[in-house]
Amino acid sequence: MKILVGVKRVVDYAVKVRVGANGVELKNVKMSMNPFCEIATEAAVRLKENKAANVSEVVAVSVGPKQCQDTLRTALAMGCDRAIHVKTDLRGDYMELQSDSVAKIFQKIVEEKEQNTDLVLLGKQSIDSDCGQVGPMLAGFLNYPQATFAANIDLDGDGLKVERETDSGTETIKIPSLPAVITCDLRLNEPRYATLPNIMKAKKKKIDTIDANDLGVDLTAKNKVLEVYEPPPRKEGIVVEDVDELIAKLKNEAGLLQ
Amino acid sequence: MHQLPKLLAVRASRSLLQHRFQKLHYSSSTHSFSSNSASHSSSSLSKFLNEISTNLSHVEINQNKYDLDVHGKGEGYHPTSPPAAILTPTSVTDISSILKYCNQYKIPVIPYGAGTSVEGHVSAIHPSSISLDMVKFKQVDLPTDGTILEDAHIQVGAGVTRHELNHALRHTGLEFKVDPGADATIGGMTATSASGTTAVSYGTMRENILGLECVLPDGTVANCGSFALKSSSGYDLTSLMCGSEGTLGVITKVTVKLHPVAEHVSAAICEFDTLHEAAMAISTMKFSSIPLERCELLDESSLDAFHKYTIMSDGNETNDSNTEEVVRKPTVFLEFTGATKDIVQEHVKLTELICNEFGGSNFEFKTDEAERRKLWSARHNLYYASLAMRKGAEKAIITDACVPLSKLAHVISATAQDVKDYGVIATTFGHAGDGNFHCILPILEDDDKEYIQKLHEINDNLIKRTLEVGGTCTGEHGIGNGKIKHLMQEHGEGGVKFMEMIKKGLDANNIMNPGKIVDI
Repeated sequence: MKILVGVKRVVDYAVKVRVGANGVELKNVKMSMNPFCEIATEAAVRLKENKAANVSEVVAVSVGPKQCQDTLRTALAMGCDRAIHVKTDLRGDYMELQSDSVAKIFQKIVEEKEQNTDLVLLGKQSIDSDCGQVGPMLAGFLNYPQATFAANIDLDGDGLKVERETDSGTETIKIPSLPAVITCDLRLNEPRYATLPNIMKAKKKKIDTIDANDLGVDLTAKNKVLEVYEPPPRKEGIVVEDVDELIAKLKNEAGLLQ
Repeated sequence: MHQLPKLLAVRASRSLLQHRFQKLHYSSSTHSFSSNSASHSSSSLSKFLNEISTNLSHVEINQNKYDLDVHGKGEGYHPTSPPAAILTPTSVTDISSILKYCNQYKIPVIPYGAGTSVEGHVSAIHPSSISLDMVKFKQVDLPTDGTILEDAHIQVGAGVTRHELNHALRHTGLEFKVDPGADATIGGMTATSASGTTAVSYGTMRENILGLECVLPDGTVANCGSFALKSSSGYDLTSLMCGSEGTLGVITKVTVKLHPVAEHVSAAICEFDTLHEAAMAISTMKFSSIPLERCELLDESSLDAFHKYTIMSDGNETNDSNTEEVVRKPTVFLEFTGATKDIVQEHVKLTELICNEFGGSNFEFKTDEAERRKLWSARHNLYYASLAMRKGAEKAIITDACVPLSKLAHVISATAQDVKDYGVIATTFGHAGDGNFHCILPILEDDDKEYIQKLHEINDNLIKRTLEVGGTCTGEHGIGNGKIKHLMQEHGEGGVKFMEMIKKGLDANNIMNPGKIVDI
């Protein structure tokens, strides 16, 4: 099995984002691998460690500026074998580069550069654009079966059995045979911490760089971002004296009681 | 694994992920404080708060009764003693100004991190005290692009918790090793010289910080230590602040030492017939130069609690009432790390031989991470398992004594015997590699005075025994207010006078967390 993993470089989830004149401020802000992409990478590496899966190699792919190399090094330190960096300075947080272009970039990689890819693992969504679209769009473009929000992946004969988490419960989906696209959700695994020896080894692994413009993909944004603003500050709560006052306020002010 | 929030299919994921690790900090800020608020008003407090809201208007002042209560207690058994107001500074200059005003108006001030201390450290002795919330000091000085750290150390704000720090470091291959049970702040851990199960191999906070920045009671900002791994330069100010429990100044930034994440780990357990034999086996392991990453000793009562309250690996808690009546034996929990798998295996083999020499049985070891974690998460949750032994208990007296290794078995056994003789429910376990052990004595809301008195007597007996053999009345939790009475016996007149002189020299007005460690 040959696995391709998409890893996106985003604003670190713990950072308190600020909105500037041109969308979210990215200058001097801590960036790291999208948490759902970490989970996808961990899933790929665990499949590789599973002898029964017979994985020949895991290739990490990232689309973005030159600093994406750091994100790819992290994926390599976690256990990917080599990486591809699709270089572009377009903003990946929906301001400039959008899901359909990214999906088309991945399509080109799978069809032209990394033929014989059996499985594409992606995070279910990125935490900057929160679209969750690349996985399903890519499956559509490639005409591959897809299973999104995977909370569990098991080998099943020639294909895979995926448990999908939704708000109303868990679905079990059978993918009868590969190739396929799977997007990964929080409950799938807990990504490993890279150890220093692996980080050192990762420095020697190969990263190929391709310019995004050379792929023949239309990178223009189809949707226009009109405005970016911070949510209004949370209104202060009040302390009421007793239950009567609470009921009065719920009735008269909040309009929640008849 | 933590309890996971239910996820909507495609919902803004950032806030969900933040929730996973960060305590959401809600505060109803009010700049128009009421000088008639509840029971904590005095004219000097009002004047002080007036100065803050006029000259430091960006510093939040919070007098919400519920928040005050939270800031007036830690995780020990001491009653809540709320401050009169909570101030949230945003910078070192803020703190410097605040402390100057505190001196001017004689307002006691208590730095507050995560509130996980267990010896009443944050209890406000004086009604017009203020709590200094360090929640805004969460900087972690990592290069913005996650490049590898060149040196194994990092500077962090005092308000960063140890889980937050290790999560920020997760791709560097390095981690911060000090692991007390709670997710305490680095500043708080420094202030109490905390330690946990890794002390046997990496030491306590004292051995894991290279330096710190603090604000002295008079507002002076002082930088202590350096980035060098060792130094003979001047007085060891870092060590002085370490363990000072907020009585000598406010710690604002700490440079912590990091160590590589272990690649090859093995965990082992072994049962013994008596605590004495377990302790002797451990001594022999150390004398045989076997490097122990972790070494914990649980007595029969702990194992009983731990088995009755088994936490499943996916986060569900079950009260397993179907366990057969198995005879529990004192058990040693060990962890080994090494540069290669073979080295670790060799150590495990050697350890098994030693355990057998001392009558050990049921020696088991595991290398798989999930199985190892299961073993250790149970140990870290022993506190809750112990509370569960008395249904409805929400807090406990946690004893903390540290003795020379040769006396450990004797002191633990004597304490366990006391528990039986007094007829109370408690669990006893220890960081056997350091000679430090804890007795958890759960308390119920409706316990009568007699029962509580028994618990305190057990603690007092334990401390008496400890000091008699040259130990210390607190290995890691600190003195707070409750253990001041033991300082004279432990340090003698000279030692206590030395501490008082330091306190008086730095904090003549006794505004820094008064009533803790020394009473001047």
